[in-house]
Amino acid sequence: MSDAKVISIHGAALSRRGFLAAGGALIVATAFRPSLAWAANRTSLDATAPASWIEIHADNTVLIRTGKCDFGQSSIYTAYRQIVAEELGMPLTAMTTVISGDTDRTPDGGGTFGLLRTNVLNLRKAAAYTREAVLTLAEQKLGVPRADLTIKDGVIAGSGKSATYGELVGGQSLELTIPVSGELTGFGGLTVTGNPPLKPASEYTIVGQPFKNPSVRPKISGETPWVGDIKLPGMLHARPIHPTTLGSKLLSVGKIDKAQFPAAKLVVIGNLVAVVSPDEWEAVQAAQQVATGTRWTAWRGLPGHENLFDHLQNKVDWSAIPVRNGRGNKGDTAVALAKSARILKATYHLPYLKHAPIGPTVSLADVKTDGSVTLHTHSQNPQYLRFLLAKMLGTSQAEVVVRTYPGPGHFGRSNGGNAGSEDEAVLLSRELGVPVRVQWMRSDDMQWSTQSSASISEISIALDDNGRIAAYEAAHRGPPMQDDRPIGAILAGLPTIDPPRPANPDGVHAAEMNVADAWVYGEVPHVHERGFGAIQIGQLESPIGVGLRDHSMRTPIQFQQNFPREVAISEAAAMAGIDPIQFRLDHVSDARFRAILTRLRSEAGWETRPAPASGHKATGKRAVRGQGVSIMLRDNGYWACACHVAVTPATGNVKVERLTIVVDTGIVVNPLQLKRQVQAGCLMGISQALHEEVSFDERAITAVDWASYPILTMAEVPDINVVLAPWPDSGIYGQGSESANALAAPAIAAAFFDATGRPARRFPFRPDYVKAMLAS
Amino acid sequence: MMTLKVNGAEHAVVSRPDTPLLYVLRNELNVMTPKFGCGLAQCGACSVLLDGKEIRSCITPIVAIGDKEITTVDGLPGRWAKQRGLSPEEAARQLHPVQEAWIEEQVPQCGICQFGMMIKVTELLEHIPSPTDAEIKTALTTSGPSPHLCRCGSYAAILDGVHEAARLMSRGGTK
Repeated sequence: MSDAKVISIHGAALSRRGFLAAGGALIVATAFRPSLAWAANRTSLDATAPASWIEIHADNTVLIRTGKCDFGQSSIYTAYRQIVAEELGMPLTAMTTVISGDTDRTPDGGGTFGLLRTNVLNLRKAAAYTREAVLTLAEQKLGVPRADLTIKDGVIAGSGKSATYGELVGGQSLELTIPVSGELTGFGGLTVTGNPPLKPASEYTIVGQPFKNPSVRPKISGETPWVGDIKLPGMLHARPIHPTTLGSKLLSVGKIDKAQFPAAKLVVIGNLVAVVSPDEWEAVQAAQQVATGTRWTAWRGLPGHENLFDHLQNKVDWSAIPVRNGRGNKGDTAVALAKSARILKATYHLPYLKHAPIGPTVSLADVKTDGSVTLHTHSQNPQYLRFLLAKMLGTSQAEVVVRTYPGPGHFGRSNGGNAGSEDEAVLLSRELGVPVRVQWMRSDDMQWSTQSSASISEISIALDDNGRIAAYEAAHRGPPMQDDRPIGAILAGLPTIDPPRPANPDGVHAAEMNVADAWVYGEVPHVHERGFGAIQIGQLESPIGVGLRDHSMRTPIQFQQNFPREVAISEAAAMAGIDPIQFRLDHVSDARFRAILTRLRSEAGWETRPAPASGHKATGKRAVRGQGVSIMLRDNGYWACACHVAVTPATGNVKVERLTIVVDTGIVVNPLQLKRQVQAGCLMGISQALHEEVSFDERAITAVDWASYPILTMAEVPDINVVLAPWPDSGIYGQGSESANALAAPAIAAAFFDATGRPARRFPFRPDYVKAMLAS
Repeated sequence: MMTLKVNGAEHAVVSRPDTPLLYVLRNELNVMTPKFGCGLAQCGACSVLLDGKEIRSCITPIVAIGDKEITTVDGLPGRWAKQRGLSPEEAARQLHPVQEAWIEEQVPQCGICQFGMMIKVTELLEHIPSPTDAEIKTALTTSGPSPHLCRCGSYAAILDGVHEAARLMSRGGTK
């Protein structure tokens, strides 16, 4: 290959930029489009070039960069390494480094979700392009035709000759430019385009192995710096003083007693009020003092959680947002419903839920006088956060760098960039000219972060004369859960993207209610599912445009729609007098569901019989027991879950005694990590089902801490059996970090019905709600 | 000025006496494994050992510490080495068995709660070397000021981790 020559590798461009005396590397970079010209300036031929996707070094080590971050899924440190190693044909141990998230050191942007669904295709394709490029280099160096070359353990060999990856790139500066689409700082980031040949799943040796997560040891030993651990010289600690209601404006600011808190200082930017101090504890105390003396306008614009479902049913304008139809819709449900003698018609409710990370949001911003902004934070979408910050400041995105660190899992809250503290830190640093660390207190994180939307679903199921489902109708209603406006920018009166509404350019912010729960009962002849979105509750009424801001949360929207569907299917099975697993087997059309349901029946110790159980009872001091099932299809993953519960009617206590879950994610990339993800997801799901509901009055969220928003404790952990039932022929990876949390609630509700004979059409299964359900 | 004994070393600290230990450890002594979770002793992310007993550093003012020995996760390897009489070379090669078990069993998801979990489990295993599931659940739910909370739901992994740690400790800390 001459220096000037560029070789096309399935549409990517391989070029040699020069020869080097030592080292050498192949750098896989992004083909920047004109709109990203400013970002292209940051690329270089240096082996640490920030725009590179994959780097093959002369010492046979490989560096991987991804704009995605880890929030406990482990995928970027485990599955991503495995998938790249697999495509390259190199050993896993060669994947020495993963750089993630930082906007100046990673190439692709986009959100940390669908890690093994869509996102991993970027790296997989980049690795495939790279392997093909290296094969071309080998063809030239070894003089062996491409067709005669094979790769094993990082060695390319053919016709008795061989070379390692490192030998093929050594002494040169090689660049492979791969084609992409999308916008680096857009919501979805960049997508690798083209179709390099991907290694067939049948040849996998690294994907499918139970590798440990190498990021665990440095975390456990205390070596890994967490987002809250970052310090800068001259840094001030800040505590914001948020308004007393979700619609209040500032009237007057309280004072700091300087004798008591000599180093503390007050900052006011519009309705954004904060106290800063070099001493964190002083900042905490002085902020409490200021809050006591600060006056806000009164506001009452929320329905209160006790009136929430009446509000959703009777007061929300569901015509403001275009209706979405389910992709599985078919036939004519109206005719089938009119003909049926046995109809289930029921309404199901889900409360607002909190992401509720164990650590409240924390960020450290450093805004220099030259206008450059560096934000140290943790985010599921750092490039989009960069866009939001530049928009707020009215500056170029080129001025903004977001650096990311491990932080508390918050399950989707920042997949549109921000979790709460980021923009406040930037605004305070700009105001004060020094680095500022904003740490929200527990109550800030409960009251001023977004939440997962409440929802209400009306389901109608008609049975035919044989007890089979003739028609299924669902109307799912709820606010749309994707408000990515930074709260500090709103309070400060600075530019943000719009709140969720139809006019938004990005579909994810259009306030529409997607029918997200994939229809799985293919044998049902008539299906009609619709999704109705709405403007966020209280937002239009709030003088500051806040109200109850919503955001996607683990298994978003599908969580809200699968609960009503699966509980209704279990109720319909009871109406038909058929065992609920058998009833599902009778209606699914996909062999993979038949396989996991059959497996679940044996793994769960399931009693095949109709519900409710023969000894069911809705009164008394003795516990009654029941079994319930739920299924779901999400991200190429097939899920079936059984819960066994004990209900004590007199006390309203519901205890989950056993949970069995069978999961088929197609190709399992890493069974060890998948098992841990599924176990943990199930427990989060039990937590949501048993305990969780965001309480609020007409003014504000009243869930302020772990006493007013309880979550599952260790003592409540049931026996959990996770059964991995892969389906390798699917040729596709499914995901495990979502879904599992959605299966528990409908299975618990079905088990509650089995035990008591009373339908459970809402959660949480708190004693007061349970007693009301049993009395109805 | 006060003196605090942290992870086997004495430190003079200038923070005011009413300052919670958590802020002094993190901001003045650069001991970062205790995490801020709630500031209300409701979650356990900030737990440390005080003379071997788990306390919540977010609500404990340093004036209440006296000359008691503070141990954080950073100090667990040294605590183990001292308890076992390990040589400095041996000690440098290994973490505390609870930490090794957490790695072996891949316990953490996000991991923020695990610093407090490992502290509480160390306290437990120093009193009950081979606890049952029920004893582990009691230790992490009702034995302290509040349950130790994990939002990710790593509780099942924690049960595995405690049993593995008990096994490692019974074998002197090695596999």
